Amino acid sequence: MRRRALLGAALLAAPALAQAAPKVVVIGGGFGGATAARALHHLGVSVTLVEREATYLSCPFSNAVIAGLREMEAQRFGYEGLRREGIAVIHREARTVEGRQVVLADGATLPFDRLVMAPGISLRPDAIPGLDTEAMPHAWRAGPQTLLLRRQLEAMEDGGVVVLSAPANPYRCPPGPYERASLIAHYLKTQKPRSKLILLDEKDAFSKQKLFEEAWAALYPGLLEWVPLSAGGKVVEVDAAEQLVRTEFGEHRAAVASIIPPQAAGRIAQAAGLTDRSGWCPVDPVSFESRQRPGIHLIGDAIIAGAMPKSAFAANAQARVCAEAVAALLRGEAPAPPKLINTCYSLVEPGYGISIAGVYQPANGLLADVPGAGGTSALGAPAAVRAAEAGYAEDWFRTITADAFG
Amino acid sequence: MPALAGQPAEAITGAMLAYRAGQGSPTVMDRIARGFTEEEIRAIAAWVSASR
Repeated sequence: MRRRALLGAALLAAPALAQAAPKVVVIGGGFGGATAARALHHLGVSVTLVEREATYLSCPFSNAVIAGLREMEAQRFGYEGLRREGIAVIHREARTVEGRQVVLADGATLPFDRLVMAPGISLRPDAIPGLDTEAMPHAWRAGPQTLLLRRQLEAMEDGGVVVLSAPANPYRCPPGPYERASLIAHYLKTQKPRSKLILLDEKDAFSKQKLFEEAWAALYPGLLEWVPLSAGGKVVEVDAAEQLVRTEFGEHRAAVASIIPPQAAGRIAQAAGLTDRSGWCPVDPVSFESRQRPGIHLIGDAIIAGAMPKSAFAANAQARVCAEAVAALLRGEAPAPPKLINTCYSLVEPGYGISIAGVYQPANGLLADVPGAGGTSALGAPAAVRAAEAGYAEDWFRTITADAFG
Repeated sequence: MPALAGQPAEAITGAMLAYRAGQGSPTVMDRIARGFTEEEIRAIAAWVSASR
């Protein structure tokens, strides 16, 4: 009898022990993953972060690097802050997820009770026939591509035509192509004033459109031309050797071209069976748990987030909500329905900032705008407001990078 | 921009409620404050005030 009672107690104790030290693995050390790892750690959860690269290069503000307004080293963040707090950081590539284990590229495995994935995007240059990303850099991931595009602009003779493209929705950073066009136009206006910029768009409407158009009319008349989908904006093919960009309506010969290809969730999300036919990851908007694989949570650019855009701010907000949800689920509790915020600042020239903001909540299985909230900066605002928002953009960058990387 | 962390919760709540009501001259916080109830704003202010 006594032996049986002891055995019973030991069996009962096993799940309690498992609850005492649940393991959470986070894959991806960008704005979403790094924030999630820190937030989980602060909630008392044992976390391991898996990130291939030793340092992270921020996409926000990388358009300023392309335009020569900022140096790349200002974009670089390390993981010492996370390690100092006691978070285990493993710099290896994660290949896939099998059962409740992450499989690393070298075949080693990491077991988890719950997994948080922030895999970002994969680019699909093959979707545009002829595209050679060395000849026509996308620069849609901060790194060598960013500097390549900058060098191409620096080497261009005055009087050249710069051709940029913006993809169809959804893609990382909805206002990004328009900020890029603005800041490159600023570079041309100040350094190579006989040049021209053509922005080929696979859409007829875009984020902060009226604000960008107001700024372009004031700052870059005759220099920056936006070509919407209905006027032949869709890039259908390129000839890298001849520097030709072909659209549905004609072709443009570029001195420098930056073609942003269509995108999908990061490769590991596809390998792990977390994407649907759209190429992106469906998730529950309360817990950010995959709709396709229980126990795996996804945040950031890779997910289908309804009204919420693919931005660093959104990834950071989702990471905090997801961390709370994971901690609740590990305690056996139901996660509370969240409200999330996003704000995206764009620069149209140094000292001239504009913004779009939104507040989101779960509705009909997605994240929806909270009615009455959000919107863009005012049209026709005085220069002092534009200057203030340019300053707030830099404050935001300092705040979010400190929140993600410590 | 002055840091919000550590500011008194009452001051943060007061500012957010004023922005929500269309007062003051915010650039972005009015657009965000309109997405929250007064109870939620009080909870946010308490959290921000308590953070480092």
